[in-house]
Amino acid sequence: MPLSLLSSYLRSIATIGLIALVLGFVFSSLRISAWDALLPLFEWMETTWFGVIGKTWGAAFAVVEAMHLLAMALLGGAIIIADGRLLGVLLRDVPVQIILSKTHRLFVIGLCIAIASGIFMACGVAMKIYYLPVYWFKMLALTAGVLFTFFIRRPLLADGIEKLNPWLVRTVAVASLTVWFTVAATGRWIGFSG
Amino acid sequence: MLHESYYMYNWVETTHVLSLMMSLGMLFFIDLRMLGIALPKVPATIIARRLRLPMFIGFGLMIITGLLLFYAIPVRSAQSVWFRIKLLLLLGAGVNALVFHYRMKQSVASWDSAPQAPQNIRSGALLSLLFWTSIVICGRLIAYDWYDCSREQSGLVSVFAGCIEGQVQF
Repeated sequence: MPLSLLSSYLRSIATIGLIALVLGFVFSSLRISAWDALLPLFEWMETTWFGVIGKTWGAAFAVVEAMHLLAMALLGGAIIIADGRLLGVLLRDVPVQIILSKTHRLFVIGLCIAIASGIFMACGVAMKIYYLPVYWFKMLALTAGVLFTFFIRRPLLADGIEKLNPWLVRTVAVASLTVWFTVAATGRWIGFSG
Repeated sequence: MLHESYYMYNWVETTHVLSLMMSLGMLFFIDLRMLGIALPKVPATIIARRLRLPMFIGFGLMIITGLLLFYAIPVRSAQSVWFRIKLLLLLGAGVNALVFHYRMKQSVASWDSAPQAPQNIRSGALLSLLFWTSIVICGRLIAYDWYDCSREQSGLVSVFAGCIEGQVQF
């Protein structure tokens, strides 16, 4: 197959390769040694200002938790609107490119707030989450979501969806909804575990 | 029984959070459109009408799961200060939504395609964002037992929480 045919999909192919590598890492013994190596980082996280505040002031922790939820709502709204439009169920009378570009900005804002508040919360309960499998599943889902959004979904849809196979567009939308709802669900599940 | 079922209770609570993502996500976009931040080039009526259905589906799921969560631990929930504040805020958000809807219906023809809504609609949108931010904060605080009747409370908190003297079951 000529390389030029692949060139427009290089980033997507590289990301799929990276996801495959991550999955290979997760299901191999390398995971255990990496997990052991991360213990000092998590111990240090609890001694930081964020860790001390999170552990000492329950109210501050709760308010940041609420901010995390609100950021997830903003992120979720952006994802539902953009993917709902790709699936042809939402805002069908508005051009796809307008929806995609405008929702992406709010998606990025939501993601940044969610990550910032997530780091604060993680510092407060670092040793608890270190031993929770569901936390690592969430990190895996989050990494997959970020890679998928920025390196597959966005470049793929950048030039419009007219030239793309409709089933590919629908598959991308369903995958995006699935991965971000998994991030939210596994995130909530952290609270129940441990 | 629901509270004692580890998986069922957690699934109900997870669904509550996922439906919050859906309903508040849509509501944020409607409010942010009125403030001129989200999709300012799309007519306001299109955003409000098209996002209303998924928003109500999300709210419906949120109410069902919220009622189930209340039903799982009714006494503790009913005597939670945060739960009571949350109900008051929900009432406020509902009234604000009705006023917002009425005002929008009255004036939308004159500003539908404008990037920003008029001042009174923007105030309603801002108030809606404040109400829902406070509702989520209170919802999150319900999980904490600082002001629960099972602990010793000051007179004011006891009255507001509806604590009963000599109560042994919570």
